[in-house]
Amino acid sequence: MASSLTWTLPGSRPPAPVALPITHAMPAVDSRSLEDLGERELVEACRAGRPGAFDLIVERHRRAVYLLCYRFVGSHEDASDLSQDVFLRAFRGLRSFRGQSTLATWLYRIGVNVCLNRVSAKDTLRRLTTPIEAQQFVDVRAELPSDLMLRNERNARVRAAIARLPRKQRATLILRTYHEMSHQEIADVLGSSVGAVKANFFHALGSLKKLLAETA
Amino acid sequence: MHLTSEELVDIAEGTRSENSAPHLAGCHVCREQLVDLRSMLSAAKDVDVPEPSPLFWDHLSARVSAAVAMEDDSAYRKGSRFLPDGLRVLVDALMSQLGGRAFQASVVLAAAVLLVVLVGGRRPAPAVTEAPVVATAEPRVDPWVVPAEDDASLTVVASLTDGQDLETVREAGLAPRGSAEHAVNQMSDSELRELRRLLNEELARSGA
Repeated sequence: MASSLTWTLPGSRPPAPVALPITHAMPAVDSRSLEDLGERELVEACRAGRPGAFDLIVERHRRAVYLLCYRFVGSHEDASDLSQDVFLRAFRGLRSFRGQSTLATWLYRIGVNVCLNRVSAKDTLRRLTTPIEAQQFVDVRAELPSDLMLRNERNARVRAAIARLPRKQRATLILRTYHEMSHQEIADVLGSSVGAVKANFFHALGSLKKLLAETA
Repeated sequence: MHLTSEELVDIAEGTRSENSAPHLAGCHVCREQLVDLRSMLSAAKDVDVPEPSPLFWDHLSARVSAAVAMEDDSAYRKGSRFLPDGLRVLVDALMSQLGGRAFQASVVLAAAVLLVVLVGGRRPAPAVTEAPVVATAEPRVDPWVVPAEDDASLTVVASLTDGQDLETVREAGLAPRGSAEHAVNQMSDSELRELRRLLNEELARSGA
């Protein structure tokens, strides 16, 4: 959006040309290409209303956000909906982003909150016990049908068990195992300490063993 | 004393070596826990996420973009509280009829109407006698210029209409179908030229 706009009013001309300057109070905008901007500058560009800036943030983080959501809900459609919700919340909250963590960590934090608040373990379980959709996507060309069946069955059991974990344990397990986040990063996302994250992780793996044993 | 959960996690993940915990060698409880941790880690890691179609990512971006655009429109609705009553009614009516780009285009016209009304309304009454012109070093204050910062509604309208051109307004089809305006909006350049010629001809004939 341009920083100023001039209206000219035909039909009501005083001696001097009529010009109505309207100046928006906007920060100076970086004139470099969006692609060249670093994370912080890109956020600033978003705040300044620069077209395409938020789209680029989405492009850079959409995969990670989608995968996070998928790990929580186990369904492509729900993960898509939740991803959209995560980015929408990020857009709304961009002004409050202080840059104390990375944008990725901040988005993960939003993602975990959205997923934990929106998805009950019961819902997730219902979806995960019918992993037909997952079977359609996995490359099965190199696998024997019997092996594929066994693998799908085992994966479905593990997914279902993860879905039944307590909220913080589930979030910790997902972020650590599938997103390879450090304990410190997970602590930032969950708003806890590294010690608490490690303890959660330990208990998550212990609970996982018990839950898998129940369904064996 | 047994290893703590933190120590076991570090060893299971390989960030700490087993040799650094001599207790492990003599404690079957801790060794068993370590085996279980590694086994569960491995089981969890094996669960893959099906890769969506490559086309999905652009689709997701488009969805987010559309949601953000709707958010902007919604924010505008909230902002319209600050508009004068007449304009708010007009804008709300347009909002209910049109959406997205069409709405933005309609605001261009609304803005034009608003400005004419506002500036016209604030036009000072013509002076009966002209005051003598006094040379002054101060910049001349133009009474026809409405300072935007004094009028929140103008700022809202300006931010909404920025970047809109007549083509967009035309495409939005603000004029109702069946009206003369709509018919004119649908005309090609050559048809418009011909219309202008006929009108000028008619005006010249009537002496207007």
